[in-house]
Amino acid sequence: MKLIGISGTNVDDSATTLLLNFIKKEFSSLAEIEIIDIRQLPLFNESIEIGTSQLVQDISQTIAEADGVIISTSEHNRSIPSALNSFIEWMSFKEHPFNNKPVMIIGTSIRVQGSSSAQLHLRQILDAPGVDALVLPGNEFLLGSSASTFDEQNNLKDTSTIKFLQSCFKNFLHFIQAAEFLNASEEVHFEPGEYQVSAIGHNGKLPMTITVSEKRIEKIEIDTKNETKGIADTVFKRIPEQIVSAQTLNIDVVSGASVTSHGVIDGVAEAIDLAGGDAAVLKRRPKPQKAMEQDPLELTTDVVVVGGGGAGLSAAACVLKAKRQVVVVEKFPSIGGNTIRTGGPMNAADPEWQGTFDALSGEAATLEEVLSQDEKQIDEEYRNDFKDLRKQIKDYLQNGNNKLFDSILWHRIQTYLGGKRTDLNGNEIHGQYELVKILTNKALESVKWLEDIGVEFDPNEVSMPVGAKWRRGHKPLKNQGYAYISALQDFINNQGGKILTDVPVQELLIEEGTIKGVIGRNAEGRCVVIHAKSVVLASGGFGANTKMIQKYNTYWTKIDDAIATSNSPAITGDGIKLGESVNAALVGMGFTQMMPVSDPVTGELFTGLQVPPANYVMVNKEGERFVDEYESRDVLTQAAIDNGSLFYLIADDKIKETAYNTSQQKIDEQVAAGTLYRADSLAELAQQIGIDPDTFVDTITKYNSYADMGNDPEFGKEVFDLKVQVAPFYATPRKPAMHHTMGGLKIDSNTHVLNKDGVIIDNLYAAGEVAGGIHAGNRLGGNSLTDIFTFGRIAGMMAVKGITDK
Amino acid sequence: MINLIGIVGTGAVESTNRKLLQYMKRNFSTQATIEIYELTNLPFFDKPVSQTAPEIIARLSQKIVEADGVIISTPEYDHTIPAALASLLEWFAYTTQPLRDKPVMITGASYGVLGTSRAQSHLRQILNAPELSGLLMPGREYLLGGSLQAFTAAGELTDVAKKEELDRYFGDFMQFIAKNR
Repeated sequence: MKLIGISGTNVDDSATTLLLNFIKKEFSSLAEIEIIDIRQLPLFNESIEIGTSQLVQDISQTIAEADGVIISTSEHNRSIPSALNSFIEWMSFKEHPFNNKPVMIIGTSIRVQGSSSAQLHLRQILDAPGVDALVLPGNEFLLGSSASTFDEQNNLKDTSTIKFLQSCFKNFLHFIQAAEFLNASEEVHFEPGEYQVSAIGHNGKLPMTITVSEKRIEKIEIDTKNETKGIADTVFKRIPEQIVSAQTLNIDVVSGASVTSHGVIDGVAEAIDLAGGDAAVLKRRPKPQKAMEQDPLELTTDVVVVGGGGAGLSAAACVLKAKRQVVVVEKFPSIGGNTIRTGGPMNAADPEWQGTFDALSGEAATLEEVLSQDEKQIDEEYRNDFKDLRKQIKDYLQNGNNKLFDSILWHRIQTYLGGKRTDLNGNEIHGQYELVKILTNKALESVKWLEDIGVEFDPNEVSMPVGAKWRRGHKPLKNQGYAYISALQDFINNQGGKILTDVPVQELLIEEGTIKGVIGRNAEGRCVVIHAKSVVLASGGFGANTKMIQKYNTYWTKIDDAIATSNSPAITGDGIKLGESVNAALVGMGFTQMMPVSDPVTGELFTGLQVPPANYVMVNKEGERFVDEYESRDVLTQAAIDNGSLFYLIADDKIKETAYNTSQQKIDEQVAAGTLYRADSLAELAQQIGIDPDTFVDTITKYNSYADMGNDPEFGKEVFDLKVQVAPFYATPRKPAMHHTMGGLKIDSNTHVLNKDGVIIDNLYAAGEVAGGIHAGNRLGGNSLTDIFTFGRIAGMMAVKGITDK
Repeated sequence: MINLIGIVGTGAVESTNRKLLQYMKRNFSTQATIEIYELTNLPFFDKPVSQTAPEIIARLSQKIVEADGVIISTPEYDHTIPAALASLLEWFAYTTQPLRDKPVMITGASYGVLGTSRAQSHLRQILNAPELSGLLMPGREYLLGGSLQAFTAAGELTDVAKKEELDRYFGDFMQFIAKNR
């Protein structure tokens, strides 16, 4: 007999744990008890499952495999401790290991009550749908005044208490055996024949004929002429089908028609009894598999878009603008995908606008490097653009312009150079010219298009998100990534588009060898079939699928199992797998991008102080700088990994003002919560984060002198803005987290998905992170929004064109 | 003006309880100011030996002490209140005890029809614990079932009867605060 022990407390030396340990030791000859530490899991939050899902699954598996569970609880405020409550929430959210699992409840308290109220709550909780435990009735074991009940060897002192505990424990072992019968399926025998019964319906009697063979219910016929049309029609069809196919009477009633549903089920039960069977046995049988319960939900539209992030919604908006029907299918309960998580800036060269901002020190030097770069290093297809760019830069520099420079070509060449990488196997990759050309040519058009949809951009700030390499970010005035999603959502809803949430697409609908839509499953387990003339895959990359990243990785020396991700947990490569099911070619799958400046625990980007890279000051755990903070993300990431991953972003009061992600209230809260450090002097800040104050002060002094000179002899930082000098000072702890997957489905410039022979797959389009080939080995910050809104729009338009051309 | 603290009883990103509090904040703005607090980012209760509250808890406690009353809007998870809310109440009970003799109004919204009835009855028992000692109004409850459909896009309650019921409840709560001054 294998049991699991759970101590429902968050304190080490609690009597609750002592009691469980005592049971384990005292009754070891009767059963093996493995104690699970529930404190491994964070406080339950259905919106955050990053980094915990594997752990939750493992614990759930252990419980599911055990014969029974003993839960020992303390009492907090008349109820169970939040630690135990949270644990049960995890174990009833995605996983349900307590289902039909025998559970014994015990408990302790410091005062005499012995957790009596907590135990009653726990019984109710374990009875909740989704938990569905089988709790041992009676046998209430309450250990009050717990401080004085154990001796030095942690044994219970009182013999009569031990005796009672033993009797409860033995009863539990009997209960486990009895519970086995509940889960066993029972045979039934009928007298074969047809049985006439009548059940009570809404409007009177329902005559029914039930045909049974020796062991099965074969047929159910219902005379429905007296019953209300409408919902009840579903009842007469669905319930008999479920009963016959699953041979059970444990059937869910049809919502809105419970009386009729019960009428049918009771009628069949009566017939079973007439046939010499036992209807109670059939009612105890498990419910039918959900898939069998209902007919599929069928929808027909022009274009179906898989994924409700920025790419999918802009594709859908374009379909609607072309006066065609569209259905967006999103697997999560809410739309937005990764787009909703972004900080908001979107790259687009808009020289006229950018030229109204002053140039920063160092920017000219960056441009001069282009002039001195060896042209032969530039891949042939980009060479002409590179030459033209040089002319533009020469003109700019010769005219002594002190305003910010930009051009479409500069954006293009930066995207290309920024993405050119070589992996561990020596394979070189750079962005496909045609795709990068479209991206950069149409970027500004995408900004204007979004403005037209209702996104307001801030005209007074040109942003440079981390890893962007240049200031060309158009940032929504408010709400960061949500600005895009809410505007697009409103547009789609107002134009008659349909957005289905909670429907993961499981396969492509293929008829006569051609893609004709998608098949998914909704939250009730019902199959959803969407017939469409074009399918747009816009389901994002695979940044939240560590196993998939590990499978394809050819770039990083190691991908840790426990790596955090900045991605929505929805981003698990589903669209790539859908593409693979129709032989789609993949490109650049080994190249992934880490976000060097992520929250060490959650992988989020927007905790702490996120400032423009000109104001980044990064120090490692020794209090020393270790990299040119203006470097690309992968250089920053590798540098961080080489320095033990954890590092700090240092800011002073002025730099704090440049943070684009936070408010004073959030800052104060984070300081209070210990996720952000603040001190009135640099030395004090160093002490808070556990680094040597002298080293740290020296590091900052040097950094400030480099900022004055505009030149960093140590690491080569060239672009500076502010120095670190005005108290209070801040340190934001950071660690690299998985951020973007550059690889994906191979597409042509019209977003058609290509197969492994380079041939267009009919009716299939892909846009956004699900597609590969654009960002190649490294994506510039701010380019993903440009990508999704540019190629999302193209996909929408091409999906319509594909229909019109036929 | 009456000052109230509203607590969203879940850390979930999408919460109809948050919507309910936001609705109350707007709708009752002439009677009271309601400052809404989230459970997101609050530390998980771990019974520190020091018995001192983390600063973020201490600050919320101080807000509650200074306020005239508290509204807790809770979802129902597994027939009880979410662990996140339980954790906050544990911090309060174990450290600052700001709810002592503080008028508390309980509301709850759920997707299903029962409208958090069981969570609310647990919450009442919990608030009745000696270390919390919140002042609850007998016989008043507000159960918002089918909450996904209960609000318009602008966050207004769709059902007139549910709107009026909340108006009455809130009016009673205002009187309850006045009586307990």
